[in-house]
Amino acid sequence: MITFINATCSFKKNAGVKNLNFSIDDGEFVFLTGPSGAGKSTLLRLIYMDLFPEKGKVLIRDYDSSRIKDRQIPFLRRKVGMIFQDFQLLKDRNVYQNVAIALYVSHYKTREIKSRVYDILNQVGLGHRVHHKPMELSGGEQQRVAIARALVKEPIVLLADEPTGNLDPKVSIELMNLLSKINKKGTAVIVATHNYSLIKRVPGARLIQMNEGEITSIT
Amino acid sequence: MTILWFLFKEGFRGLIRSRYSGAFSIFIIAISIILIGFGYIIARDTLFMVENIRSQFDVDIFILPTAGNEEIEAFNQKLRRMNEIDRVIYISPDDAAEIFKKEFGEDIFDILDYNPLPPSFTISLKPIYRNLMSVEAIAKILQREPVVDEIKYRKKFLIVLEKYQRIILVSVMIVFAILTLISVILTSNSIKMTIFARRDIISTMKLIGATNRFVKTPFVIEGALEGGLGALLAGLIIYGVVYIQNNYFQSFFDYSIHVSYRYYLALIILGIFLGWIGSRRAIRRFL
Repeated sequence: MITFINATCSFKKNAGVKNLNFSIDDGEFVFLTGPSGAGKSTLLRLIYMDLFPEKGKVLIRDYDSSRIKDRQIPFLRRKVGMIFQDFQLLKDRNVYQNVAIALYVSHYKTREIKSRVYDILNQVGLGHRVHHKPMELSGGEQQRVAIARALVKEPIVLLADEPTGNLDPKVSIELMNLLSKINKKGTAVIVATHNYSLIKRVPGARLIQMNEGEITSIT
Repeated sequence: MTILWFLFKEGFRGLIRSRYSGAFSIFIIAISIILIGFGYIIARDTLFMVENIRSQFDVDIFILPTAGNEEIEAFNQKLRRMNEIDRVIYISPDDAAEIFKKEFGEDIFDILDYNPLPPSFTISLKPIYRNLMSVEAIAKILQREPVVDEIKYRKKFLIVLEKYQRIILVSVMIVFAILTLISVILTSNSIKMTIFARRDIISTMKLIGATNRFVKTPFVIEGALEGGLGALLAGLIIYGVVYIQNNYFQSFFDYSIHVSYRYYLALIILGIFLGWIGSRRAIRRFL
């Protein structure tokens, strides 16, 4: 589903990623670990094509980073769900609107938007918080809104960049359990984290260790 | 339909959310429209004044004293049939003597014992022919008529008038081009501030798969709304100024301003256009 072929992407300030060669299959759960600056976020950005490799390429299903046109990128991103450490929610909109916007951009009909949003919010345990603004929610709840927004469009893969970075340990564990549940339903999940204790929460997950932009081990 | 409704709703919401920066954009657009609106009135009335002066331009055709009444009448008919001519006035020698008396206060018969004043025609040309080139061409044709002795018109007057009209027209066009450009830049910059304050929305929208058009449309709708509101504000101010001038200062300046509802409608359309163009220009940086 996702294949990196000799992908290299460098920056002036840090190493970026070097010569990545690996692939991720449908329905896999993958942890990317390594210290800060190891290239985890860069790798994720290469998947949702916020960055492009200067050498090699990244393939996501039919999308090829070396051939994709600018106007095709939104369509790729509709198939890739993303969650971040800072949640990236729209502060002036309530929970329902934050999730629904992902479907509006994909041109869904109002009736379908409504049923999908309520359904996904119930799944992440926020059915009772639909009219609250992000600032009225706890960190864990905000991250669950972000997950709902990422999942509502039924992506092929969910990318999580340090999703527990702003959460306390108890909420972090709850979140990992939720991601594991999502994965069991068939969505591939890639979590970039330097919190090794989380990895144990998902038995059977693949672990890709990175350092200075290179993959040091895949287990 | 869902998507269109969503984008319009987003545009309206954006306007309400932007508050101070939105109000600032409306204010900037209002100033731009006021400048353009008054610029238009001043240019229009100046050109109207020039045209009014031009309408007083006449051509005098003096007839040979030897010409008979039938020849004069035939020439009169010919003049009336000419497309270029708007109005023909025949001045007989007696009429000319009467005019002489009015203008100089003395009877020509008391001075000379006879009337030396020839019959003549005063013609007014249709507005489009009241220019030097046409007048010279028409005079050349009429000069060939056997009954015509001499044709007189104020050539220098026409030269000066045309020169000033050209200067006014060119100045008006330059000023308008500059004003419009400044308006677009000012509008675009103030809208840019509004968009900058909400750049997180743009980045989030792009992350969840929104196309550039989807991201852009609500901002463009918001810009057009700001433009419309700015123009409405400008229209109210202009209306107020026109009302005060026409009701309190008309006699003082000997000038009254006439503007129709079409003028205000045009201002609103211009405002919407400025907001639309300005926001399109502003959002480009953030996509």
